[in-house]
Amino acid sequence: MPEMPPATLLTALGTYNLLPAIVFLPSRRRCDQAASEAAFMRRDTNDQRRDQRRDFIRSFVEQYPEIRNHRHFETIVRGGVAAHHAGHMPAWKLVIEKMMSAGLLDAIFATATVAAGVDFPARTVVLTGAEARTGNGWRQLTASELQQMTGRAGRRGRDNVGFIVAAPGMHQDPERIASLLRASPDPLVSQFRATYNTLLNLLDAYGNFAQVREIAEKSFAHREAARQITALERATVETEERIKAKLRAANCDLSIETVRGFERLISARAQLLDSKPQTRAEVLHRWLDEVVQVGRVVAIGRSGKRLVLVTEKRDGNVRGIREDGRSASFALERIGRVYSPVYRLKEEFIEAAFEEMRRRGRELVIAEPRLRDVPEEESEALSLFDELIEKTIPTDFDQQKRTSCTETLWGLLSDAEDLERATRRTENMRAEVWQPFAQRARVLSSFGYLNFATEKVTERGKWLADLHIDRPLIIGEALQSGLFISLDFIRIAAIVAALTADEEREYGALELEDALVNSLAQFEEIGFRVSSEEWKFGVEPTPELNFSAAATAARWADGTEWATLVRETRAEEGDLFRMLSRTGEALLQVAGLRKAHPEAARIAAVAADAILREPVR
Amino acid sequence: MRPGDKTRGGRRGKRFDDKGHNPRRHSPSGSHIQQSDALKDTRIQVRLREARQLLGGIGNPRPQPFKPDAFQLEALAALEFEDVLVTAPTGSGKTWIAREEIRRLLAAGRRAWYTTPLKALTNSKYQEFSDEFGAAQVGILTGDRKENTDAPLIVGTTEIFRNQLFDSLRGGNDVNADLVVLDEAHYLADEDRGHVWEEAIILTPPRIRLLLLSATIGNADQFAGWIEEVRGVRCGVIRRPGVRPVPLRAAMLLPDKRLLPLVNEYGKLSPEIAALAGSQKEKGKRQR
Repeated sequence: MPEMPPATLLTALGTYNLLPAIVFLPSRRRCDQAASEAAFMRRDTNDQRRDQRRDFIRSFVEQYPEIRNHRHFETIVRGGVAAHHAGHMPAWKLVIEKMMSAGLLDAIFATATVAAGVDFPARTVVLTGAEARTGNGWRQLTASELQQMTGRAGRRGRDNVGFIVAAPGMHQDPERIASLLRASPDPLVSQFRATYNTLLNLLDAYGNFAQVREIAEKSFAHREAARQITALERATVETEERIKAKLRAANCDLSIETVRGFERLISARAQLLDSKPQTRAEVLHRWLDEVVQVGRVVAIGRSGKRLVLVTEKRDGNVRGIREDGRSASFALERIGRVYSPVYRLKEEFIEAAFEEMRRRGRELVIAEPRLRDVPEEESEALSLFDELIEKTIPTDFDQQKRTSCTETLWGLLSDAEDLERATRRTENMRAEVWQPFAQRARVLSSFGYLNFATEKVTERGKWLADLHIDRPLIIGEALQSGLFISLDFIRIAAIVAALTADEEREYGALELEDALVNSLAQFEEIGFRVSSEEWKFGVEPTPELNFSAAATAARWADGTEWATLVRETRAEEGDLFRMLSRTGEALLQVAGLRKAHPEAARIAAVAADAILREPVR
Repeated sequence: MRPGDKTRGGRRGKRFDDKGHNPRRHSPSGSHIQQSDALKDTRIQVRLREARQLLGGIGNPRPQPFKPDAFQLEALAALEFEDVLVTAPTGSGKTWIAREEIRRLLAAGRRAWYTTPLKALTNSKYQEFSDEFGAAQVGILTGDRKENTDAPLIVGTTEIFRNQLFDSLRGGNDVNADLVVLDEAHYLADEDRGHVWEEAIILTPPRIRLLLLSATIGNADQFAGWIEEVRGVRCGVIRRPGVRPVPLRAAMLLPDKRLLPLVNEYGKLSPEIAALAGSQKEKGKRQR
């Protein structure tokens, strides 16, 4: 169904006495358009609230001067309708909310993402569709989202009934809306995750990983796992009791550990037999899989001329850097030679690696296994297992007891397997919560913010723990490298903005000055060092810097007027406000490091003052 | 319907009736025309009844003196001896519970922290509580605003509160409060910032009473059970009965501007709407 023009929609709602209404539309632009269109069509209606509205907005001008010349001022006064979305300034949104609450508006056109806690109910909530727009296309509304929207229908104490009206729209689906209205609310799902900040603070407080881990294991997300762990542990105790009873019954004074050791030996022996390679290709593949490592140089084919430094190995595929600096990707099987040294993956070492290969590659080749070596080695291993299995029963047992206890041990195999499985599952579940913290601990350790071996936060880590921002490590390294004290407050503001802004969003396309480009390049270099280390330990890489935010923040810190900034960037005021406000807060965090980095803290404080000025507050 | 609404309601009703009487406008396809007149009359009767039910009672209630709801009093009573999770939709009076409990504590010379997820919300609560309890009694702490921070009632963002918990664990000052209110506690499910709420709940010392105010959620008991486990303090769940403070009715506005109930009295999609929706879906499919 085509969407109804906004004025027509409001007139129809008016005939049914369904105003005031909140009309949800899919985009900010549509909200603004609908508001001005509806206001224009309604401008001639005789509405005594017109003057009231003008006075109402004016009463806020002293507190929020930026609303004085708002481009929607007259629209709202004349038409009694307004747009409300994240593209507007918070002060402006507040005035709209208060006006709605005062009963001075007939309709608000809003996007579905009206912030939580913003309370402006209406008699009627209008939905033009059952879908919400996302960055790339449309997705269906969830029950919670719909309830968040319909929760605004019916003003407490002012309406007997609230209405939810499905209006014509291209993405309208009354059936889905009806079923979402019936649906029970979505459950609360934990989003617990590891952050550098939490890790540093908790480790500094407790002084060991075990207690930090205990906190992580208390998370709501881990609760289900914790329950399963408890159940597994209970089952383990029961299995152990069962094993003990059977041992007693057979009159074998052997410990649980002996039973478990026996099971491990048996299963290892079985695995060895299973995995025994049959063909030369299999032998080679297994060998390559073992010796081809990140940091080693390999040759593609047998000639030894096409050398590649391995940077990644996954599922039988290898990625690396060729001598000419280009990257290469190929299957493990194509490797003809492997050289023994392991090099660090840093630019200065790569050249040297290939140089060494050219000089004395021949000496460094790792010898390939000969096919006949294998069975020998493995039968050796098998006989070693048999020996160990034999030795499980203490030598002081007489022959008859040996026989009966060996039989008992075989009979306990499946119980012992249960124990083993339960132990492994418990360990895995425990590792799942802890692993992200451990990975981050290793990254912090390699930059010297904590000592992984002694489990202590270093002096450097103590001040980093005080930086309660999204990506503290990059700021920490920028401070550590002296970048901050080499810049003026404008460029400090700019690089912090580049880091704190939404990665994807455009804040205008202002020209970047050379000096600023230079600072950003240095900052990006630091970011790359951090990301490389994170990548090494499996921490997801940090988002990219936002250069357009940097340029805009620099212009603002330099003293440009707000109206000029909005005009020149052509960005939405609400976006600019949020970005600058977050930049200011991050700068205040740096300004708090007066002891560890007095000079940087001083400049950051100046930068924060330059950013956090009216109307950014 | 209250007597005061009668004239208005009657007029709107009449207009609606006029349209309801025209059977041709009601039949999206020819199939209905073949039905007997008697059957048609019954169908119209049903539709009229539904329409009257849909718009009946619309209007403004008589102003009434404020009287707390039972669930609000229940929550206040529970707070005397346990943590409390209140789940109710926006605008149903959760803040009232927090305000009354804070009033009680302040009168007894005790202290409270009130956290919100948003700076704008923090500012408006600061204003609200300053008006209510006097400016000297209230302080604010956000990323860029620090005022009257020694006041017995502190309003701030959840992040700042969590940071204070970190600081006190690291040997700084203890968090000096007898009650912590976590407003919009369902932010725990926020992808970016949710972990801060979990950390705050886990790290708040058990001696401090927790009051969590949340939107309606599907697993309130499970959530409270978890809080109980990690804090070792009982956590009661208080739900607003009947879910909504003002009853809700659903309708559909058709392209010809008629208003129909979205579902009939049996909870099924009205046939006319279903037909319309069906044809829309068909068109969508063909376009693909």
